[in-house]
Amino acid sequence: MTGPMLLLPIFLPVAIALIAILIPSRVRYVREGISVLGSVVLLYFGYAFFTIKDLTWKVSWLGNGMDFDLRLYHFSAFILLGLAGFLFLITLYSTVKMKNVPRVREYYAYVFLTAAFANGATLSNNFVPLIFFWEGLLLTLYGLITIGGKDSNRTAVKSFILGGFCDFSMILGVAILWKITGTLTLSEISVKPEGLAAVSFILMVIGAIGKAGAMPFHTWIPDAAIDAPVSVMAFIPAALEKLLGIYFLARITLDFFQLEKNSTLAIVLMTIGAATIVLAVFMALIQKDFKRLLSYHAVSQVGYMILGIGTAVPIGIAGGIFHMINHAMYKCGLFLSSGSVEHRCGTTELKKLGGMRQEMPLTAFGFAVCALAISGVWPLNGFVSKEMVFHGAVETGYIVFAIAAWVGAILTFASFLKAGHSVFLGPRSQDVPAVKESESPVLIPILTLAGLCILFGVYNKLPLKGFIEPILEGHVEAGEHLDFSSHALALFNPIALISVGCLVIALLLHLYGWRKAGQKAYLASEPVHKFPVIKQIYDLAERRIFDIYEQGVRFLKWLSGVLFKLIDRPIDAVYEKGVTAVGRAFTGLLQAAHTGHYANYLAWSIGGLLAVAGIISLLLR
Amino acid sequence: MVFLFIALPLVVAGILPLVGKISKKVLPDLLVNSVFVILLALVFFEGRGLVAQDAAIKQLFWFGEPLNIRLMLDGFSLFMLFAVSLVGFAISLFSIDYMDHYGSKANFYALFLVMIAGMNGLLLVTDLFQIYIFLEVAAVASYALVAFGLGQDELEASFKYLMLSAVASAFLLAGIVIIFGVTGGLDFETVSQGLRALDARYLVGLCAAFFILGFGLKAALVPFHAWLPDAHPSAPAPISAALSGLLIKVSGVYALTRVFLNVFGLTPALSTVLMYLGVISMVVAALLALGQTDIKRMLAYSSISQVGYIVLGIGLGTPLGILGGLFHLFNHALAKSLLFLNSGSIQMSTGTRNLDEMGGLGKRMPVTAGTTLIGSLAIAGVPPLNGFWSKLIIIVALVQAKQWAFALIAVLVSVLTLWYYLVIQRKAFFGQLNERWSAVREAPFWMTVSTVLLALLCIATGIFFAGTVNSWIRPAADALVKGVQTTLGSLGF
Repeated sequence: MTGPMLLLPIFLPVAIALIAILIPSRVRYVREGISVLGSVVLLYFGYAFFTIKDLTWKVSWLGNGMDFDLRLYHFSAFILLGLAGFLFLITLYSTVKMKNVPRVREYYAYVFLTAAFANGATLSNNFVPLIFFWEGLLLTLYGLITIGGKDSNRTAVKSFILGGFCDFSMILGVAILWKITGTLTLSEISVKPEGLAAVSFILMVIGAIGKAGAMPFHTWIPDAAIDAPVSVMAFIPAALEKLLGIYFLARITLDFFQLEKNSTLAIVLMTIGAATIVLAVFMALIQKDFKRLLSYHAVSQVGYMILGIGTAVPIGIAGGIFHMINHAMYKCGLFLSSGSVEHRCGTTELKKLGGMRQEMPLTAFGFAVCALAISGVWPLNGFVSKEMVFHGAVETGYIVFAIAAWVGAILTFASFLKAGHSVFLGPRSQDVPAVKESESPVLIPILTLAGLCILFGVYNKLPLKGFIEPILEGHVEAGEHLDFSSHALALFNPIALISVGCLVIALLLHLYGWRKAGQKAYLASEPVHKFPVIKQIYDLAERRIFDIYEQGVRFLKWLSGVLFKLIDRPIDAVYEKGVTAVGRAFTGLLQAAHTGHYANYLAWSIGGLLAVAGIISLLLR
Repeated sequence: MVFLFIALPLVVAGILPLVGKISKKVLPDLLVNSVFVILLALVFFEGRGLVAQDAAIKQLFWFGEPLNIRLMLDGFSLFMLFAVSLVGFAISLFSIDYMDHYGSKANFYALFLVMIAGMNGLLLVTDLFQIYIFLEVAAVASYALVAFGLGQDELEASFKYLMLSAVASAFLLAGIVIIFGVTGGLDFETVSQGLRALDARYLVGLCAAFFILGFGLKAALVPFHAWLPDAHPSAPAPISAALSGLLIKVSGVYALTRVFLNVFGLTPALSTVLMYLGVISMVVAALLALGQTDIKRMLAYSSISQVGYIVLGIGLGTPLGILGGLFHLFNHALAKSLLFLNSGSIQMSTGTRNLDEMGGLGKRMPVTAGTTLIGSLAIAGVPPLNGFWSKLIIIVALVQAKQWAFALIAVLVSVLTLWYYLVIQRKAFFGQLNERWSAVREAPFWMTVSTVLLALLCIATGIFFAGTVNSWIRPAADALVKGVQTTLGSLGF
């Protein structure tokens, strides 16, 4: 394969997007056929590129070092493959789930444009095209959320503004980095994060974790879970943005800046990660809606990745990156299974659901595997990557971060026990009529993802050796132990035992809550919810006090009100009362002079003549 | 060839009343429009070549005998001829539909062509007395045209215009007589050299004052402006456009510039007087325009104000100032004739010129509304339209010459200008559609063609302003700058 082939992952989806929008919405099968086929082709090329792993292509574009520079190497090939895989599953899923939405042509167009932008951003080896593609994602996300209808506009704007803010700080960071290094080529940059470079580091990290959906830039995700189509949630916040955000975060910490273990910046990063884990999982625990619950986990799990990468020790970084791909798989699977339930039952409210396991056994199975994986149950993939993050956190010596991660693990499992119990177990709900299992295009992606969760857990050598470890090569000291698979599933070490203990605590917590609530599973989290102090915090959170977007909007409204009253009105008054009145007064005076009498006008002319003659003779002197 | 610029319109004007006996409409329309097409072609294909060789001076012969008439075509004249032909063409296109309801179209065209011939003659002559002659030719035709509607207002306005113009002509003639008396010649070169050899500053200063009154009245500089707000609105719309767009510029600004820059030489004293006149006109007329409710009166005051800009730029006397003044002259000719034509469209459709009675016409007359908006913004100086660039050049020239106060006033007046043009837009085109006008129709075909043509020219001149400036304005400004340099300081004042 040659360099220009790298354009294929960018332009093929664009072409499909164009086709999708041009085909009339009635010609359903053609559009779906082309979409699925296109995503298969992309998946094939994703695999083919992954086997090559080394390809570059560059043309000069805007000058001043702003080249259109694409680079395929191990890490980007891995992300590209992942993106193609998720695109394929989502497209397949959408053929059933999205067939009746009103703006279906736009939907496919946006999905494939998203894929094109994501592929472009992954392959870019120059910051200018990178930012171009990165920003494009903001637009397609906006479009995709609005397809949800009803109040989705508000949420779409929210995601756009939050994303725009993060992207802006990323651009600022890139600009500073450009100033420092004098180059825009990603592969040429490597600086120590000191002084101005530290500012650039922070700004770019905001861009990366904002894309990944970490706190405090996450607040659009729970809203979108309600407003946006579920396949969009499964595709973008669950899978694609995690891949891109964490990919970029890993590039920042590994390539552009040499992050030192336990440096201030590393601790900042770990703190963000730990805070995200704990705060988001607390919110997730008390949710009463299936999709909203999942969305808070999508935030919480980012914390593990950031924590892992922030440790700056090999096992932590590898764990963070491994957690990224694991999370993308099981969270995508979870969203898709919630979509499957919604597809058949018409609701995702935990209260109205119950006992669906008999009618939807395959969905229930897929959900169960993914839920256990996200909770970190042995021997699934989530267990492996979380253990690696725990190890990394302990290795830094700051046990507090490990404790935060364990607290997160307890509540994660508790909330999934609650969700699974409410939806699939327990007595059959009376609110939902008899339903059938979903069609195979819905089930195949769910089961595929569940299967991958098992595979990546049991046979973790495959992803660790094939995907993760080569990323770290060249970034750790020579001779450092890089084979993580040997003890990945080991149960008998203190860290793993604590993790297992956490799961037991979670189970007990759930059973206690379930009993206390009169065997109503959807109320199982109430003991935590009602706990003194925590309850007050929850109340504030429900009122969106901690939502920086809502607070920002409120502040801006207040500010604009104040400015309007203090500055705008007075200036207006000066114009309206002052300038206008003076203007009108002069106008009136002059108009009064224009009487229409010839003699008058003649007198002016003669007066003018005398004045001119006088002035000229005066000036002659 | 150069002679054709005068002869062609004059001859056609002569035969038009006869043609009118045969064909009431079609033939006169065709004839007049083709005259302008020929004039435009002459400017493009003949004129530019002649100017490129050097200022072409043509001696006229009558049966082999040399006459005392010599025509000169330099960059300045050619530029003005271009403006006259272009705007004249748009006006004649507009008149095809507009003048239908006035009757005696052929007579109208004949008068119009006489006026054009007068202007063209004025642009080409090389002699003070001939300036006076052609000034009167154009003026007499314009008196008749102002009164063309024969209503009381028209007649009153025409009479006032005639009486004030007569005063101006008298003083002009007096000035010319004195000049002839002291220099013994009338053509520009003799006078210029004669004045240089002479030590009679006060006498010459008096003549300069007479000329300022004469040409200033034609150009409607405040305080010699009072006839214009009556005369221009009273005329039929195409004539308003021709008066505001062309006549005041040719018989006022051109003659003033020619005489003072190429004959007298722009001395500091004259420069100061001209600039003050320009600024006073700018400010006073803009304020007056603000108080008008009659759309054509508002436009008429606006013309005075914009002429102020032109005179300010030219009066500054620096090459850039002259360039900006001339460019503004051209832009104002395009935009103001466009606006007057549109006011005619409105008047024809609604029967009123009162802004307070209009409202929401934009919905019924989209083309008129759109082109008016372009014309307004062009005059107000909103980028990227042509008026913006010319005002910018004038202001830059003022700043370069360290005339801070004038530059500031020029900026402020352009804000005022925007203000009253927005008043037109708001009262006439935007807002609720007045019930009375629910049946109003868009202007007929040729009228919209003409206005759209002018609007497009406004946009094109704005966007390609560098091209316009280099091919038309700069040669004109160069011709004037040469005059300033050769005569500057040679006189005693």
